[in-house]
Amino acid sequence: MNSESVDKESLENVFTRRVFLANTTKSALLLTLTGQLLLSKKALAGAYAGQSLNLVLIQPHKISGEVLRKNFAELTGAKLNVTIVPYDAIEAQATLDVQSGANQFDVVEYWYASIGSLVENNVLQDVTDLIIKDEATIKTSDYIRSIYDPYTLYRGKRWGLPYDGDTHVLFYNTTLLDKHGVKAPTTWDEYLIAAKKITEAEKQNGVYGAIIMGAAIPVIIGSTFANRLAGFGGEFLKPDGTPNLESDAAFKAAKALLDVAPYALPTPVETAFEQAVPSFLNGKGAFIECWTDLGVYAQDAQKSKVIGQWDVVQLPVEKKGDQPRASLNAGFGLGLSTATKNKELAWEFVKWATGYQTALELLTTSNSGIDPTRLTTLNAEEYKRFAPKVQKAANAALSGALAWPTIPESPKMMRSLSEKLNRMLADRQSPELAIRQINSDWVQILQG
Amino acid sequence: MKSFAKTSFKSAAHCVSPNRRRVGALLLLPLIFAVLFFAVYPAAYLVLTSISKSTMGKPFISWVGLNNFVSALQSDFAWSLMRTALFAIPTSLVQLTVGIAIAVLLNAKMRFRTLWRTLLLLPLMSPPVMVGVAWKVMLHPTGGFVSRTLCQFAWLHTPSSFLGEMPWAILSIAAADTWQWTPFIVILVYAALQTVPAELEEAARIDGAGYLKILFAVQLPWLAPALIAIYLLKLILSFKTFDLVYVLTSGGPGVETSLSSYKIWKTLFQDFNLGMASAQTLLLCLIVTLITLPVTWWHRRIQRTASL
Repeated sequence: MNSESVDKESLENVFTRRVFLANTTKSALLLTLTGQLLLSKKALAGAYAGQSLNLVLIQPHKISGEVLRKNFAELTGAKLNVTIVPYDAIEAQATLDVQSGANQFDVVEYWYASIGSLVENNVLQDVTDLIIKDEATIKTSDYIRSIYDPYTLYRGKRWGLPYDGDTHVLFYNTTLLDKHGVKAPTTWDEYLIAAKKITEAEKQNGVYGAIIMGAAIPVIIGSTFANRLAGFGGEFLKPDGTPNLESDAAFKAAKALLDVAPYALPTPVETAFEQAVPSFLNGKGAFIECWTDLGVYAQDAQKSKVIGQWDVVQLPVEKKGDQPRASLNAGFGLGLSTATKNKELAWEFVKWATGYQTALELLTTSNSGIDPTRLTTLNAEEYKRFAPKVQKAANAALSGALAWPTIPESPKMMRSLSEKLNRMLADRQSPELAIRQINSDWVQILQG
Repeated sequence: MKSFAKTSFKSAAHCVSPNRRRVGALLLLPLIFAVLFFAVYPAAYLVLTSISKSTMGKPFISWVGLNNFVSALQSDFAWSLMRTALFAIPTSLVQLTVGIAIAVLLNAKMRFRTLWRTLLLLPLMSPPVMVGVAWKVMLHPTGGFVSRTLCQFAWLHTPSSFLGEMPWAILSIAAADTWQWTPFIVILVYAALQTVPAELEEAARIDGAGYLKILFAVQLPWLAPALIAIYLLKLILSFKTFDLVYVLTSGGPGVETSLSSYKIWKTLFQDFNLGMASAQTLLLCLIVTLITLPVTWWHRRIQRTASL
């Protein structure tokens, strides 16, 4: 084989790959822009034109709501009214809407850990049969396995479809780490040492080694704890459904959280998503455990001062060689409210909004707050190009992730966990005491 | 004379025709319905739900007797009642003291009195949520005015969390509450000060009393019944504090600033437990009544002494 033939062959290969990639991208873009394949013929024929649908979304997904509203109107002629509520109030809003008889919402975005509570409170409709009927469009096998069941399954039935597949990864400020000769940690001990070193050197400049989200909100401090619980190999519940917090892993997780608090941005007990993210984007912290979409915010010139100065790895583990394991922190699905008077259109919308094409468009929209729920979107070239570092970390993190409990008592249990851990951080209580109190609370809650 | 009045009333009543009596009763009906609808129905609903297992969507699932009350008293709620009393009694007292001081200053002849009065009203006119937000921003550990100033003057070495540490968290709520509600007390005390007869002050002045002597020996004793009534009013308002807790601390750190109203809100809007929330509300009412009873008794006693 001479050099000419090699060049020709490689050129042909490049050409073939280029053409293939270009064609794939074009067709994917076309589908993304239209999302038509996800809608029924009836919807595309304008049968729902002029009708309206009310959707309730959490505040971090506001931009995704705008995209959905615009595209759904263009495709079906139906009007989508989007109500935005704080992320820690979504369950209360959806439940009160039904229980008070206001019946305003047709489609609700739900936190997956509240699925049992929402079902028992008669807020979500059973959509098992609808999923079976529309399997060809929905393609349930495309959902990431560690996400699909926790997000939709309760008492053997399905109550919605995954919309935002949230998990934490560890972001770090490369400039700060390089400056202090620190490498991205692989264990929680390394993480503590690195955070301490950076804080001690930079505290006077208002820069800290870690940003710890410790506000007493389940999806905030609960996630911070769950990251460590997963890393130490723990579980929230035993297989028989009883609390599993009086375990070595849970104690170690609480201790790891308490140990890093003195080296975190002041002060962890008051730090939630809305304080943590701007601090990292302003270069005030070296490490932050956060949802994967932070990688998109970090490259946004309007929001970020750390463009190109960050990287991301999977969350640390207990000891070197352990398999990294993420926790399914937050994470939302779309379900039909029992209050809806337009079930047909509401289901058309849920199917369309959670489908591949729409999901890919949301994933590649800046600040939409949406993370992958499907294998095809997670591995899509568009997503890889849009957020290459994040895609890699998310891909690795999502297999075998730790799911939070989804039983009806879960929201109450998680509120107790949040309050007790927050108090542990505030009062520098012993981790053993905090964990025992939480476990005892959980036993009481489960006993009713 | 007495028997004449009684007889004439009886005869007058006797003279009213049945039609007019019916019209009178009809005219009373809207009032009766209003009382039934706005007072009797909510109170009865509260009592009945408190002895039942109820959610917002499914009230009266089953009757549970006093179980909700027992559970409430065995839970964190009992501590929240104690916490609320410990918050309400001293903060109301501080606010009354500061309010009296400011009202007396305003009552004195001073320049720009109208301007000061208007400025003082601003916190009262601000929506409570905005008061909370303003204080939250001010007390934020990094970048907040208080923490930054204390660090600049080297009174703090590192930014401190006023809303995330005890006792600073509850003291911060008390400070914000004082800032918001003291103007209300000032207005009431200032209005009461206008009722002090000028002759009394003049007589005291002729007797050689100075400014402070007049204040403590004439004005305050005269105002005592009004001041106790104002304290009572503020005490009840303090027992119901919700918005500042919601915005500033969300009941934290842990549950250490969870005052009773906030706790009741959580029971109803996070646990959706209407029965328990009703029982907690009745328990809070009971505690407020028990604590305000001595103040009410004292108020009556002083009023009686003053009228003698």
